[in-house]
Amino acid sequence: MSYKKALLIDCSEAAFCCDKAQYKEASVADKLKMLLHLVYCKKCKNYSEKNTKLTKLINQSEIKTCTEKEKKAWKEKIEKEISNQ
Amino acid sequence: MSINKIDPNKWVDKYSDYLFNYTIVRVNDRELAHDLISETFLAGLKSMKNFKGEATERTWLISILKRKIIDYYRKSNSRKGRAEIKIQYSDDSNEGDWLEENAPDVLDKTAEDVMENEELGVAILDCMQQLPEKQAKIFKMKTIDGFDTEAICNEFNITPSNLWVIIHRARTTLAQCLEKNWF
Repeated sequence: MSYKKALLIDCSEAAFCCDKAQYKEASVADKLKMLLHLVYCKKCKNYSEKNTKLTKLINQSEIKTCTEKEKKAWKEKIEKEISNQ
Repeated sequence: MSINKIDPNKWVDKYSDYLFNYTIVRVNDRELAHDLISETFLAGLKSMKNFKGEATERTWLISILKRKIIDYYRKSNSRKGRAEIKIQYSDDSNEGDWLEENAPDVLDKTAEDVMENEELGVAILDCMQQLPEKQAKIFKMKTIDGFDTEAICNEFNITPSNLWVIIHRARTTLAQCLEKNWF
């Protein structure tokens, strides 16, 4: 019974493993459990496919965003300009 | 048609990522991009009264930014003559190579790829704007800036399981949004 509990996980845990896997933070055990779950759970399989696709798209888009520090500098500039007006 | 209003205090939170992404693909220099966007915000503040509300705030800001980028290239172009393009058909280092090796790589990025990537970036940023602010911030830090789980947890004072729940919600929303707007 105990090994069954250890091997069979529910959907929320599978989703959790899947999200972690997207950031390469899932352990081997996590991945195995997830793969086993995906064998019999269509919904999670669907989620996993979409999730992987999302990761791929984000990597492919090569988005570059600004840091909080840069944002702060802009905010200060805008505030200063407004108070000068 | 509702008239769009302007609110400069929200510019940075709402548009800076979008503007930055727009600039960086065109000038390819972080510092320069930062300066150009600063100038854009300031120019926007100055000409706020000219904003008629026909376009959205974002479109309006982009149109200012475009001028700034063009101005930058004009200026740098007026210092012409410093850079020269040299075409060498043969030099010692590749002596004996096949001529084909000088040909451009077909697998290299074409202009079309770059454009498509840019559109994809815009679509993703648009979708990210639909997320609640905290979710968007955390998702961005984790996914795009690649921060450690621990670092983010410390900054926002949350537990790792909190973080993963937030990430999960953000990913679900984003996947749905992109499915509608991109595929």
